[in-house]
Amino acid sequence: MAASGTKKPRRVMLILEILILIGLLVVPLVTSDFHTIIATRMLLLAMLAISFDLCWGYSGIMTFGQALFFGVAGYVAALLANKAGYVQIWGIVPICMLVGLVSSFLIGWFLLLGKRTPTIIFVALGTLTASYAAERLVAGWQWVGAGNGMSVWDFMKVGSYELEPGPVFYYVILGFLIVAYIASRWMVRSQLGLVLAGMRQNEERLAFFGYRVQRFKALVFSFSGMIAGLSGGLYAFHEGFIGPGSMGIGLSTYAVLYGLFGGVGTLLGPILGVGAIETIAFILSDIDALKPYWPVILGVIMLIVVAYRPTGIMGLIVTDRERIGSFGYRGGGEPDAGGKDAKEDTDGTA
Amino acid sequence: MDDAIKLIFDVMAFASIMVLVVSGLAVIASLMGIFNLGHGEFVLLGAYTVFLFREWGLPIWLGMMVAPFVVGAFGAGVERTVIRRLYAQPVIAMLATYAIGLIIREIVRGLIGGQYYAIEEPLSGSFQLGGISFSVWRTVIIFATVATMIAAWMFLTRSRTGLQIRGALENPALARASGVSTPKLYSVTFAMGAALAGLAGALMVPLFSLSADLGVRFLVQAFLSVMLGGIGTFIGPVAGGGMIGAMVPGFQWLREIPGVAEQVSPVMAEVLVFVTALIIVKFWPNGLFSAGRR
Repeated sequence: MAASGTKKPRRVMLILEILILIGLLVVPLVTSDFHTIIATRMLLLAMLAISFDLCWGYSGIMTFGQALFFGVAGYVAALLANKAGYVQIWGIVPICMLVGLVSSFLIGWFLLLGKRTPTIIFVALGTLTASYAAERLVAGWQWVGAGNGMSVWDFMKVGSYELEPGPVFYYVILGFLIVAYIASRWMVRSQLGLVLAGMRQNEERLAFFGYRVQRFKALVFSFSGMIAGLSGGLYAFHEGFIGPGSMGIGLSTYAVLYGLFGGVGTLLGPILGVGAIETIAFILSDIDALKPYWPVILGVIMLIVVAYRPTGIMGLIVTDRERIGSFGYRGGGEPDAGGKDAKEDTDGTA
Repeated sequence: MDDAIKLIFDVMAFASIMVLVVSGLAVIASLMGIFNLGHGEFVLLGAYTVFLFREWGLPIWLGMMVAPFVVGAFGAGVERTVIRRLYAQPVIAMLATYAIGLIIREIVRGLIGGQYYAIEEPLSGSFQLGGISFSVWRTVIIFATVATMIAAWMFLTRSRTGLQIRGALENPALARASGVSTPKLYSVTFAMGAALAGLAGALMVPLFSLSADLGVRFLVQAFLSVMLGGIGTFIGPVAGGGMIGAMVPGFQWLREIPGVAEQVSPVMAEVLVFVTALIIVKFWPNGLFSAGRR
């Protein structure tokens, strides 16, 4: 409270959060069901984008295979519905999160927790390989529909209420997105987040301080996989379909794009990125001449963002200082002092 | 016995392609510290050049001769316009190459319309040797690879530019201090790496069919090869590429063993290659052939 003067710049972010929340809340009220369904898909993709941001923006794990966890969970959800006839949301959601968590932990354990510190490139291409291999495997596996994927005919159920794509489904997904966002935000603003910020700045120094850097990375990676799994499972029910493309490098690339375009290391950026890219895609999809070249345009956008505007959209709106923010207090000691210390430590990070 | 010789011959042909792809990737990665994520698409571009020549009604072999130069020039252009700006941040440069790869892949997809095109061999047929028939084109691939590798080796060890490249690899700051223009070297190297990819792409189109997603497959395999062989030496990536290149068809042939084919589908065999390679890398994180350096 006393330090409100120094915390002033932090407000832009908060205002932005509130504005986006209000915006998202009113979408189904002001648009048709058709547009609401498209907006729901964007929310699901936003969760995937957040999970990418946690990896790349906060812990320096370049993941080109984030869709893997999304797709695996989606397939599990589709299999539960089609083969076991189980569609209760209370079961589907935890199972999908668990699937995402376990699969990302296994990949993370393999890629990150080795004898030798893995390079960014090793992790990037390792995740790419995993995603590519998974896509190939699923596309050739008859039991899960091979290249055609699987349709999910049943709606997800809450008790006996059937959750059809539409406004209600939208609010359910929005609820999950808010929970995922708050959980992620809490994590990156806690003392753990401070360690992650230190890692981004100088991984070696953190390691010399005695932090087991790779374990932190594996932890964040697993957490992000859990969020990706959550969105994947819900996506399968929302779209009524899951295919090999949902776990391959195509969607993984999109996750990277959303994150980079919106601005990594902000959590809010990926949501904006999904909104911007998917809206443009939706408008352009009416123009037939441009349609086949849309992915090319995306590539050009990515190139420009990477080379000229590494902070993405968020970089235009908020200052670096606010983007990095402050971190939770250590237990004991005076809260304000802790807050200031944390800030001083990280002000130099960009 | 005859079958075994034929199998080894075929495996060698596939391994040769991989050696070409990987050497291009490795020369860029070891000198500049940038892992070119668009390398697979450079291969695709080489293949597409050949396809274009066929579309225009020009001889295919001409397309194959031109492809390395086209892709090399393209690589030089990319280096000039994008990569050069990002030498200080290798990770950002990597993302940029990924974006470039994405652009190439999607343009090619738009141009060929998501189809698969088979391109015939410029030298078809086979010849007899000791009662065994060998495909002429695969022989050409093997010899072209060997010749290219020898040329590259000679270039690196005998020529003045090669000496400068090795110097810059050892110690860039000292190389610059000695009056070697490292940016120029990087340009040459990047173009050379791209040209090797283009050559590989051009030579291999008759064996694989042309499709937009061709590059991804080569990128993944090339990555595993570099990891397997280790970086920084000449022999490491080449040997790694040979191993991965041999494993891919090799695992497919393992399915010939009675009882295996029912259990393992062709796709499964391909994925098993990845798994095997990653497990080897897990236990030998420096690669199998790295000479104690990095």
